[in-house]
Formats: sequence, structure tokens, C-alpha cells
Amino acid sequence: MTQAQAEQPATTEGPFEPRIVAFVCNWCTYAGADLAGTSRLQYAPNVRIVKLPCTGRIDPLFILKAFEGGADAVLVSGCHPGDCHYTSGNYHARRRWTLFRKLLAFTGIDENRLFFSWVSAAEGQKFADLINDLTEKVRAAGPFEAANPARRRICP
Amino acid sequence: MSVTESLRADAAALLADGRAKMILGFRRRGEACIPAFFTAAEQLDQLDYDADSKVNLAAYLRKAEVRECFPFGLVARPAVMRSLLVLAAENQITNDDVRILGVDGDTYHGVLDLNAAGELLRAKYGGLGFDEDDLRRVAEIEAMTPEQRAAFWREQLAKCTRCYACRAACPACYCERCIVERNTPQWISTAARDHGNYAWNVIRAFHLAGRCTACGACEAACPQGIPLMLLNAEVGTTVEAEVGAKVGYDPQAEPVIGTWNENDKEDYIL
Repeated sequence: MTQAQAEQPATTEGPFEPRIVAFVCNWCTYAGADLAGTSRLQYAPNVRIVKLPCTGRIDPLFILKAFEGGADAVLVSGCHPGDCHYTSGNYHARRRWTLFRKLLAFTGIDENRLFFSWVSAAEGQKFADLINDLTEKVRAAGPFEAANPARRRICP
Repeated sequence: MSVTESLRADAAALLADGRAKMILGFRRRGEACIPAFFTAAEQLDQLDYDADSKVNLAAYLRKAEVRECFPFGLVARPAVMRSLLVLAAENQITNDDVRILGVDGDTYHGVLDLNAAGELLRAKYGGLGFDEDDLRRVAEIEAMTPEQRAAFWREQLAKCTRCYACRAACPACYCERCIVERNTPQWISTAARDHGNYAWNVIRAFHLAGRCTACGACEAACPQGIPLMLLNAEVGTTVEAEVGAKVGYDPQAEPVIGTWNENDKEDYIL
């Protein structure tokens, strides 16, 4: 998908299809997503995966940028505690998210829009179920376009 | 002796015996007290103090021309002492760099080093934190729906002209190159539009997680009257509740972000 396509408003025509951006770590959740694919598990095509070396690499700015670009929801996912390829990246990330999600909720991006999960390389089924669940949740919450405080708008 | 007289006497003594090359304090201009630098004893009759001032003089510590004048004396209320302890914990200043002239309203605490300031804060000012009114407003905003919260902040942040006075007033904002000035890639739009204002103010508040000492200087500096302390209070109370950290009470404290605990909360992680 090109950037132009990705930035089209979600509500052009037809029923609302949520756009979810998933920031995942290379070693666990990406491998889990890969397993879901190679196992031919069906899951909602509403997720755009961005692979990073580690959840510790996921800057809060990435999350803001995704919302700015029009994401209806953001998922951040990595290795279970204790399983980090770099020993402690996910612990660092967890503390950061605990603080950041509260601040985002306080300013209008609440927990229906920002999700966190641990998905290991063996949990292809969990990944598929997770994406299906989130997609349904976000579909129920509706488009974020109008209420999204971080959304890039050219005209005020 | 009044607080001002005591300040002048101790400042003169610090300059006289070389324990300080410069005194960072206030002088009166009209009704207001403004920041002032004193390098000689004969200037010190200008040294004044305003208990209501929200200015945090520790913000000057990042300036190279000020750092050349280490060691120096600094007039500090309790919240400013906490800022100094945060800077010490982040290895920005050492005990040899700064002599604290501790003041609090009508009370004068004398000349303190960082450790003594830490002891004083822990003994007498353990309950320092965010303003009660701010905390009440935070609770009100938390009780709103997400759409109402977004609308509230959209209205507030639309006023932001991106002058960065909040950053200039804050002692904890000392990055040599701020993220908002990085443009390859540009993470935060510099246009004074809603999305850039939102990103800037959210990231500014988040960068102060575990570092904000509730001194109030950013909000006092904001020419647009944006209630920045509400953002800081939200982050600050979360830090206390979730991490259990009291910011600015220990010059050897570990950073809140950059450390972790195996038992950190994760009930929200799927």
C-alpha cells in the first residue's frame, strides 16, 4: 500500500473499515504474526504492521504519528516479560506505556483507541484472535477521524 | 532579620569567600521581582525576593554562560530545590557547583548543599506536590467522556503559538536539541495548528514524567494561559501512583523512565 492510499480517509465509501497500526517487535510479535500467516490463520485485514527491533524502540512519538496520520487505533505488542531478546527492552517499554497511555487518555485518546499486548513467537493463534477482537472493538467504537485530537488537519 | 536581609548577608558571604562566583536571585523592577545575576558585593543591595514568584531559577543552569560561573549561589524555594535535586540525579550538576539559598515564604533556611536540601525537603516538605485546585480540575477532566476531554484540550491547545516559553522556563527541559527542532524526520509539526500543538504539548508533558517538580514555572510563563499544570499533574500523579516515585527528594534517585521493576503494573496489557 502506498502512502497516498494509506492516508485516504477511512470513510470514503462503503461501511467503516477500521485502520489499526500495530507496532510490533521483531522477535516475538512479528514472529507470532508470521506464524499466524504460515499457519494460514484468517484474521482481519485491518491491521498495518510496523516491525521494530524491540518494544523498547517504540517511541511514544510513533504512536502520536500514527494517530496524526489517521489511525483509528494503535496496537503496541512485544515479547512477554522475561522473554525480551535484549533482556529488558519490554520492561522499559511497559513502564513508558503505563505513563503514556494515561496522558493520552487524559487528552482524548482513550483506551478504545490504544492497545498493548504481549504476543510470543509461538502465539500465532493469539495474534489472529487479538487482531479480530481489536478490529471488532474499533468497528464498534466507530471512526476516530472527527474526535481524534492528534489528527493532522490542513484547514483548522 | 527579614528574609531579604538574610539572603543579602549570606550572598555577600558566599561571594566574599569564593564559595560562589555568582549569585542567581531576584531584583525588584516596579511591582515585580525579576531574575537577576550578582557578581559583586556592592550589587547585593538590589537582591530581593518575592514569595509569590513562580520563576524557577534552576532553568538558567543549562546556559553555557551560567555554567562557566560555577560554583554559584541560587535563591531557591522548595519546588526549585526539588528541581535542583532532579538535575543532580540526572548528573547535570554536582554538589560543588551550587550553593542553595533556601527560602520559603517568610522562612529562611540558610545556605544548603544538595544533600542538606534533600534532608530539609524530606523532613519538612514531604507533602509537596501539585496544587489542590489543579488536582481537582484533573479529576473533573478525567470524569469526562473521551470526546469531551479531546474538545477541552482542543480548545485549550488551539491557543498555543508555539513560542516554547514553557520549555524555556523549565529547568528539566535542557536537551541541547529539542525533538521539536529536529526535522529529519520531523516528528512534531512546527505549524501552530491543532495536530502540532497537540503533539508538542503532550510530548513536552511526557518528557517531564518523573522529572516535573510542580514548580509552576511553565504555566506562569505561558503567554496564552494554557493550563499546562493540568497535563503535568496528570503525569505526575500517575508517576506517584504507578511507580511510587517521589520526584526531587533524593539527589541520587534513579530515573523513573529508564529504569523498571519486574512488578510494574501491566493489567492493561492484553
